[in-house]
Parts: sequence; C-alpha cells; structure tokens
Amino acid sequence: MAGIKADNGPQRGRYGFAARLARQQYAALSWARWRIFVHSLRSRRGGVDLTAGILTYVFGVVIALGPSAGLGVGAWFSVSHHHPAGLATEFWIVFLIWQFLSALAPALAGQNPEMHHLLRYPISFGSWVLLYLVYGLISPSSVIGALWCTALWIGIGVARPDLLGWAALVLVVFALFNLLLSRAILAWVERWMARRRSREILTAVFLVIALAVQLLNPAFYQHKGKLPFGLRQATVVRVAGEVKDLQGYFPPGVASISVVRMSRFERAESAAALGALLLWMLGAGVVLTIRLHAESRGESLSEAPRRTARAAPAEARRRRDRGFSGPLSAVFEKDLRYLLRSGPLLYALATPPVMVFLFSSLYRQGPYSSISRGYALPLSLVWGFLGLTRLVYNNLGAEGAGIQAYFLSPTSIRTIVLGKNAFHLLLFALEAAVISGMIIFRFGAPRPGIAMATIAWLLFAVPANFAAGNILSIVMPYRTSLTRMKGEAGSLGNTLLSMFIQVVLLGVGAAVFIPCAAFGREWLATPILLALAAATIFAYLRLLSNVDRLVGKHRESLTLEVMKAR
Amino acid sequence: MDTPAIATRGLTRRFGEFTAVDQVTLNVARGQFFGFLGPNGAGKSTTIKMLTGLLAPTSGQIEVLGLDFAAHPIDVKRQIGVVPEGLALFGRLTASEYLRFVGRMYGLDRNTVNQRTEELLEFMNLASEPKKLVTDFSHGMQKKLALAAAVIHGPKVLFLDEPFEGVDALAAGSLKAMLQRMTARGATIFLTSHVLEIVERLCSHVAIIHQGRLVANGSLEELRAGVALADDTSDEKLTLEQIFLRVVGGAEGSNEEALQELSWLA
Repeated sequence: MAGIKADNGPQRGRYGFAARLARQQYAALSWARWRIFVHSLRSRRGGVDLTAGILTYVFGVVIALGPSAGLGVGAWFSVSHHHPAGLATEFWIVFLIWQFLSALAPALAGQNPEMHHLLRYPISFGSWVLLYLVYGLISPSSVIGALWCTALWIGIGVARPDLLGWAALVLVVFALFNLLLSRAILAWVERWMARRRSREILTAVFLVIALAVQLLNPAFYQHKGKLPFGLRQATVVRVAGEVKDLQGYFPPGVASISVVRMSRFERAESAAALGALLLWMLGAGVVLTIRLHAESRGESLSEAPRRTARAAPAEARRRRDRGFSGPLSAVFEKDLRYLLRSGPLLYALATPPVMVFLFSSLYRQGPYSSISRGYALPLSLVWGFLGLTRLVYNNLGAEGAGIQAYFLSPTSIRTIVLGKNAFHLLLFALEAAVISGMIIFRFGAPRPGIAMATIAWLLFAVPANFAAGNILSIVMPYRTSLTRMKGEAGSLGNTLLSMFIQVVLLGVGAAVFIPCAAFGREWLATPILLALAAATIFAYLRLLSNVDRLVGKHRESLTLEVMKAR
Repeated sequence: MDTPAIATRGLTRRFGEFTAVDQVTLNVARGQFFGFLGPNGAGKSTTIKMLTGLLAPTSGQIEVLGLDFAAHPIDVKRQIGVVPEGLALFGRLTASEYLRFVGRMYGLDRNTVNQRTEELLEFMNLASEPKKLVTDFSHGMQKKLALAAAVIHGPKVLFLDEPFEGVDALAAGSLKAMLQRMTARGATIFLTSHVLEIVERLCSHVAIIHQGRLVANGSLEELRAGVALADDTSDEKLTLEQIFLRVVGGAEGSNEEALQELSWLA
C-alpha cells in the first residue's frame, strides 16, 4: 500500500511451530483441554459420558486386539512362507480400515476446541498444522491403525528379526501417510460439506454409488448356472491378476513391496519402494497443507449470506398456509422443514433402506437363505428404526436457542413432544413402508404368523422407544447441528443408553417369538406382544401426561445443554 | 506523520456471486475511537472478520499498525484484541481459567497473566463466582468476559462487535470509561453497534456501510455537513441517528405500505 510505512509499528518476529510462543500456546491448549475435561466431570451427565467413553474405548480396544493378533500372525506367515500377496493384503486392510474409521467416527475423537476459534490468536501456520495433526493422532482410527501397524511389525520381526529395523521405518512412514491422508480427507470433506448444496449432491452421489455397487453383485452372478465354473473362475483370476499388478503402485502396495524386497536382500528395490511411499506421504501432506493454509488464512466455510428474501405474494401465502393451524401442526411443520434442510439427517434416514437393500442380496441365497426369508421383515424393520435414533432420543437437541420459544409460547410441552413424536412416527411409517416393500419384493411375503407378530412387536416397540426417547431427550439432551456431519460432540451416555434400549426391545421380541416358534405356537407370539404393547402404550401416555412436570424439573439443564455455544 | 492504525484499500469479500463487502477503503488514525455503522446485513461483521484475520478478503489490502495483514498475520494478531460477533468463548472453563488461557495464547508470562486476570475479573465484577463455568454465565457476563479476554494482552488496536449488547448500565459505564482511557493512552478502537447514542457519545469518527459499500466516512461534524439539507433551518445539531437515517434510510425507501398490512396491531 503506497505511502504507508511501518515507522513505529510492532516488532516483527519469527514464528515457527517450535518457537517459544508456539510452545507456550501448546501448553495453554493442553491445559485448557485438561480443565474442560475436569469440569465435564462435575455434572452427573459428565460422569455418565466418561463411563460410556471408557466402556466404548475398552470395547474398541478389545475389538481391535483380535484383528491385531490376526494381522500379526498373518504378517509372520506371509514373511516366513514368502507370501508377498498376503502381506500386501494386510497393508491394504490396515489402510482401508484406518481411512474408513476416520471418516466414520470423527465424533469419537472427543471435544477438541474448534480450530476456527483459535484463528484470532497469533498462531503460526506450522503450529496450526501441528495442532490439526495432534487432534488426528488421538482419534480412534489413528489409535487402532497404530496398534495394527505395531502388530504387523511384531509379526514381521518374529518371522525375520533382521527386518525389524527396516519394517519399523516402512511402517512409521506408512502410518504417517495414513494419518496425513485421513486428516486431508476430513479437511476437504468438511470444506465441501460446509455448503448445503454440496451436502445434497454428496448424499445423492453416495446413494447412487451404494446402489451401483449393489448392482455389481447380480451382474456378476447373472450367468451363474449358465456359464461353466472354469470360465467364471478364469474371469476371477484375470481380474485378480490385474488388481494385483495395479495395487503395487499405491501406498499399501509399495509399503509391502519394500518389506518383501528387503526380506530378499534387494536393498535398492526396497529403498525405491520406500521412496515411493515417501512421495505418497508427501503428496498427502501437500493436499492437507493446501486446505489448512486456506483455513488458517480465514477462509469462510459458511453459506453465502443473502441480504433480502423476496416475500411470497399474499395469495400464494394464503394458499400455502391453508389447512395448517395450531401448535401441534406448527411443531410438525417446523420439524419437517428442519429435516428437509439437513443433509446428515436425510443421509441417516436414507441409509437403512439402502443397507437393507444391500444386505438382502447377501442373504437371498446361500446356506442361511431360508432363515433370512423367514425373519427378513422384522430384522429389517429394527434396522430401519436406527435411522431415527438420533431424532427420537434427542428430540430437542437441534432447537438451539429456539427452545425458549416453546417455554414462552402458551402451549404445553406435552403438545410439543406429541408433535415431535407424531412427526417421527410418520417418518418411521415411511421408512417401514419402503423397507417392507423392498423385503417383499426381494424375499416374497412373510408368513402370516411372522407378519402379525412383527406388527404386534412394532406396536410394543414404537411407543416404548418414544417413551424412552422423550425421557432421555429431557434428562440427557445434547446440542446437535443438523448441518454438520463432522465434529458432533454428542453425548456418549445418551447414545449408548438409546442403543441399549433398542437391544432390549429387540431382545423382548425375540424372547417372546422364538420359544413360541420352537414349540410350534407361532400364533401365540402375537397376543403376548399385543399385551406388552398395551403396557408400553399405557406407559407412553402416562409419560406424556407428566412430561410438563419432567421438563419443569430439568428445565434449567435442558435449556443450558441445548443452547450451549458450540 | 504516523501510519494509520487501520488502513484498507479496495477491501472486497464475495460469497459466490454475492458481494458482502465491496471496495471498502478506510483509514483509522491511531488513538481514534472509530464507529462503524450499518443496517443489518450491511457487511459490518464481515468487515471486522477480515480486519481481524477471521475471514480472508477476496481482494484488497489490509494494514494494521503499518503491517500488511496478509504478510504478517501473527505480528498483527499479537497487537490486536477482538470481541467477535459470536464471542467464541470456551464454555467449559471458568472465567479465570479462560483469561489465563487467552493470556498464555498471546505469550504473556505466568505472573503477568495471573495478575491481569485478577485485575480484570475484579474490574468486570466477575470475581464473585470463581467456580462458575462460562457456559453458565448470563449473556452480559459473557460479553464482559470476552472484552476482558480481548484486552488482557494490552492490544494497541481493539475491534469490538456490539460490545455493550446485554451488558447492564453500571458495567457499561465502567467499560466505556475503560475504553476511553485506552484511546487517551494511544490505543485505537474500532466499534460496531446498533445503539447509535453510544457511538455518538464515544466515537470521534464514524463510517457507515450500506449493502457492502462505504456510504459515509468522517468526523461527526463532517457527516453532519454532508447530509444537511437546504431546508434545515433549525440551530439544533443533527443527531447520529438522524444522520444515519438520512444516509441509509433514503436508500431503503418508505415502509409505509408494509405498515398498512399490520392494521391488526393494537
């Protein structure tokens, strides 16, 4: 800018990620994070969340330990029996699951301070990148990935102790590549998902891909029985050969090649493969850096603001509003509009039917096909309810500051909760209709006994779910964003309890139906489940009549949690 | 001549096809209490976000205390304090913990941070409930805490987005006195507020932004002279509200027709 000079401006400094200021900032952030954790234990909910978190991590580690042992043994076998394809497969498994988990469960990483809140502080770009990576390091995907890489290393080392050093080097680079790539994918997805239009497009693309993948199965098997087995086998071998050649150019492939070549004392080839892996790591780092650089400079991820919205003509408004009045329909309509504007919710609702469609192909044929045919409908409907869990068990979480409007309006909370339950019932009915249609189309109509018992079980389970959902929504609410898929802090306590309740409801259904079917009295399950349904409907109505009192008791904590700044 | 505390040239921010801030050129002198006004959605907060590094401009330049923001973002951030639109506090910390955290983020030593934290909490009347979490504070208390956090490192330039909203009259009086003392000692304050009386009382210079463009800029006297009409015969000075309405209200047009539709109101 011409004519403006820094005559007595502030002193300029050099700021790297290891500078004194940066170190002080890391210490401040770690301390703040510790204090946030300590304060989270003050409330009963915090204690429940911590317990649930510990259980989740223990469960996760137990689940991860099994494959770790498998990977370790597999690596030992592949190296000691000179089976390079086996080692490559293991590297691919680690790579795919690392990236999949990273995309699937970012919320489990915990409540990190929002990166964009740190923008106003004098944080250097190096520190910004380092913080972003550190947050990634403590995510479940990285912990599990690191565990599995260690297992591979131990397996290789047991088979060939002389490879321990080289394998460690390769696996460290491989792990760094995975970390950088997973963080880069998240950063870019966050960028694209920041706009509603992008979210809608991505959801549509996902659904199309999911369906396209599904079509591969019948396409592959369409000639089953017509073509000779040898020809089909030859096709599989040819495709596998092409894939095998191609995979060697990608990071899991070059990582395994590097180890295998070193095991044959081909040092130059091994080093070249490691170099290729380093290039991949560098590439992932560059992709991540480009995104983080834009973010650190204050790139806006929000929707473009609009100055004015053109009001609908009076006649059109009158026509649009005809037939809707009263608080019940107001809540219903508001929730419908929220749903239509929320990519993650639409995605959550669309996923169960798509998954049912996918899984129905797997179980249509094969040894379990007769069982699948018999129980496809009830099992699929249970699956269908999962899409609604977040809505039903935290039905006030998306209100934000708007929850105050409910307390200010001359309407009982009972009406509001009833409106929400009615809306969720409609959603479930739609989901159930789609799923039932799909199941009947793929498996044929279920036996009358099973169909009747399923309907009776639904009459039992739906009110029970709504009653439990209403209680948890009031007692253990958490603020949700309907526009973001990433960074949702949530409440582990609420999530685990809601899952537990659904398992119990399914268990009750099974406990009634299976003995009846085993003794040839399938018809008996229906009246028993109907009797249970009467009890849950009564419990639901009872709860509904007391909901104002319950909200009154928890009003302060409910408002605080739902309005909490994110 | 001193370089301006804040200088922008052709500052522009677009969101897709929508231009939120359009070619804004400003000079704010050091030690000035500068008011930045505009109707809702005019581009005030977008401008402040760009001036504080929270949002990258689409084009144009920003210099703060003579330093190019794009080239020296950290040097600039060390010298400025911000009370942003959304406050962006860490709700699960206590007030004292939050101030200590912010002080350390700016590189202050532990003793200085502790001393300033105590002084600021006392001044803002936030010291009485040391165990209360920020998330449990009232909106006014959160504003005061955000202001305390914005000044803990002794900034030379302070950006305040609606700092008095929700703050009680007693506290607002103390805050105004503190801000005036800061400007008397050479600090520059860039303030946006919809309460025009406050801006009129505190600010020596005012700029008005409307639909992303700067439509008025100067001292209050200069603005008065700029909007005076030929039939203004009264000796009374135009208030800032009248100036604002003449600058912005004219462009908005009459709302009489829409008012007619509200005939059902008592």
